[in-house]
Amino acid sequence: MDEPMADAPGAQVKVTFTTTEADLQLPESKRQLLVPADIRRYGLSRVLNSESMLDTGSIPFDFLVSGSFLRTSLEDYLTSNGLSLETNLTLQYVRSLIPPVYEASF
Amino acid sequence: ATRITGEDEAAPLRDYDEALDMWSDFQTKTQSLSQSLSSQLRLILTPTQSTKLSGSFRTGKRLNIKKIIPYIASSYKRDKIWMRRAIPSKRAYQILLCVDDSSSMSDDERSSSGRLALESLVMVARALTVLEAGQVGVLGFGTDVFVAHALADAPLASQDAGARVLQRFTFRQEGTDMVRLLRRTIDHFGEARLRQAAGSGGEDLWQLALILSDGLVQSRDHARLRPLLREAMEQRIMVVFIVMDDARESKKGHSVLELKEARFGPDGVPVIHRYLDSFPFPYYLIVHHLEDLPGALAALLRTWFAEVNS
Ligand SMILES: [Mg+2]
Repeated sequence: MDEPMADAPGAQVKVTFTTTEADLQLPESKRQLLVPADIRRYGLSRVLNSESMLDTGSIPFDFLVSGSFLRTSLEDYLTSNGLSLETNLTLQYVRSLIPPVYEASF
Repeated sequence: ATRITGEDEAAPLRDYDEALDMWSDFQTKTQSLSQSLSSQLRLILTPTQSTKLSGSFRTGKRLNIKKIIPYIASSYKRDKIWMRRAIPSKRAYQILLCVDDSSSMSDDERSSSGRLALESLVMVARALTVLEAGQVGVLGFGTDVFVAHALADAPLASQDAGARVLQRFTFRQEGTDMVRLLRRTIDHFGEARLRQAAGSGGEDLWQLALILSDGLVQSRDHARLRPLLREAMEQRIMVVFIVMDDARESKKGHSVLELKEARFGPDGVPVIHRYLDSFPFPYYLIVHHLEDLPGALAALLRTWFAEVNS
């Protein structure tokens, strides 16, 4: 993974997490987050699972943006939809149905 | 207003009649707040007392020890041996209101940031104009910086002048370049200081920049802003960041106070920080309601004046 160093972040995007899964709700104060713009589904899953978010260990998540599954980085999603980094993206997370073996290759 | 550069012309303007309605609506809505702000600022910005004792007088507040020996040596003839409180030096102000024109200000979740910023702009501009504190200018910023009202322009007193300023703000710029804003602000004040020095003499010039924004700056810019903030301080430019943070019930969970950021360490493990923990502006206010602004701004300026005068 070529994530940037913690003390020298790259571009960021503001996201708002939502879900319909009753057992996986985030408290209101944790729903909006700035994340690296080059983040993908795998990185977003790690963030959501982390101790300061859902603290769920390693549930693989999928993310829906405007009704379709996120398959690129957020930055690529924005670019291909003519959106800028100023956009606040709403990400709906769901338990992933893709088998874990696929997970290793993001 | 001054509109010279080509890049300024390219930006689409808000409809003039709409801007005129907005200005008069906001002016009516914020009238009492504006009056409250101007009366608080009058106390802060006008120097009422000089703490310095100086001069040579026959009567006064305190003896000037250096004059005692010559006084005795002159057989008590050179008797101007007293010091008095000096007359406070006259101050001149140049104030730039810098309004965030980026599209995050009109985002679905925070669409009120832009409106709150323009209401605040009208309120503060009116208060300063009534106060006749000095020159007031308006900058807009996003990807670029534009001059909506130059410091040297006629005061923002008429609704027409106000509407022409509001016309420039459409919240469509696709970036929030705070580094560029600070650079332009420092340069703008530098030029204005030179013009002021050439024009009138001996006044004590104070320069103040108020940034009205949702506070969302790319975190990677935080480090690049620090040297610019130091430069501003060295040039005696005060920079106050006013974060527009609407706190209505429907906006719960969207406050910048709650905003976190996720970064990945070299080990790929995400670490979550509070966004404001790395916010580089030493003087900032968070305004949840328009009514908070006059008191909060006055308190901050009072603190700052106490610091620079001590
Ligand atoms: Mg912005």
